[in-house]
Amino acid sequence: MLIYDIWFLFIYMFSVGNLIFVSKNKHLLVVLLSLEFIVLSIFFFFLVLLMFIDYDMYMLMVFLVFSVCEGSLGLSILVSMIRSHGNDYFQSFSML
Amino acid sequence: MNNNSNKMFFLFILFFSTLISISSNSWFGCWIGLEINLLSFIPLISNSKNLLSVETSLKYFLTQSLASINFLFMILIKFSLLKNFNMNNIISIMMNSSLLMKMGSAPFHFWFPNIVEGLSWMNNFMLMTWQKISPMILLSYYFNKNFLIFMIITNLIIGSLGGLNQTSLRKLLAFSSINNLGWMIFSIMISENLWLFYFLIYSMMISMMISLFFLMNMYFMNQLFINNMNFFIKLNLLINFLSLGGLPPFMGFMPKWIIINFLLINKFYFLTFIFMMTSLIIIYYYIRIIYSSFMFNYFKMKWVNLLMKNNMSLINLSSFISISSMILSTFIFM
Repeated sequence: MLIYDIWFLFIYMFSVGNLIFVSKNKHLLVVLLSLEFIVLSIFFFFLVLLMFIDYDMYMLMVFLVFSVCEGSLGLSILVSMIRSHGNDYFQSFSML
Repeated sequence: MNNNSNKMFFLFILFFSTLISISSNSWFGCWIGLEINLLSFIPLISNSKNLLSVETSLKYFLTQSLASINFLFMILIKFSLLKNFNMNNIISIMMNSSLLMKMGSAPFHFWFPNIVEGLSWMNNFMLMTWQKISPMILLSYYFNKNFLIFMIITNLIIGSLGGLNQTSLRKLLAFSSINNLGWMIFSIMISENLWLFYFLIYSMMISMMISLFFLMNMYFMNQLFINNMNFFIKLNLLINFLSLGGLPPFMGFMPKWIIINFLLINKFYFLTFIFMMTSLIIIYYYIRIIYSSFMFNYFKMKWVNLLMKNNMSLINLSSFISISSMILSTFIFM
């Protein structure tokens, strides 16, 4: 771990992604995009970390597979929501 | 899409995801188990096509995915700071927070009553019992004692005070579940065996209650009063509610007794006070329900005639187990 300044970038990216996730948005798609942004920042972090362990990138591929599954699950829920509500606005949540 | 083989497939993967998570060698395997858990639980709950089920599965997905991705980030930070033990406090607090958000414990509990309100009874049973296993066991691997004691107090208070104004049975059981999470997290800090014991008895009690409500198709409190139920069903309801609250001759008292024993021997007096007082509030609103349902004779409506159905033969057995298991458990060592 010779360079420590790069952590600020990872923590900043992660924090910005989290901030957009928890903010009040009009569309659901923005929340899913922020989730993908967090995944991207973790991908970057993982890449840099694994470079210090003799370039063993297998774990990174496993992480990528699971994150993509999760993202596609989010999109399928978005599709299900549009099929029943007609749009993906957060204002249409009134049941619970 | 009421395809039973679908449900069996996803249930199978759900069971395996917990096993992957708790038996992995590294934190990364734990994360993988949590992800598979989310991936296989969402199809189980979003089966019907009405508005409520979509909203439920969306809220569940958003909170759980945020929690597990935060968990992974903290795992990576922990991994990158191998010899720096100064950051242990912060990292353990963040990891515990993300696991508490997965479980639905306070202060990250706001999604839990909402989602429980939107699910059927069987899905609720899965959510309240099985989904709590892997976050709890992961919590026991790396917990921060001071942070968790504060969270336990928050859990107890919110679980007891939140249930006071509820009329929906599902939300009532949700707040009771949050309260019991406080007891369970404390039992993790004592010993993992004790947690297992508490968890098994808690899931047995919840399964008895949920099976009763499921068979009678009851979702709200006024349904307990309108029907002219059989005496044995009402008695079973009484026994189950009191057992869940932790009153002495019933089964639910036993794990709480062991925890209080530990608390008093080790001089945790303030924590004992909070445990006792919040249990009192919970028993108050249980007794409020069963007193009205059990003691009073309501109008017998002619078009709601609740007979003893064919599949209710286990009610007597479950009542017997709830009453006598504390005494029968002393015969183990004979």
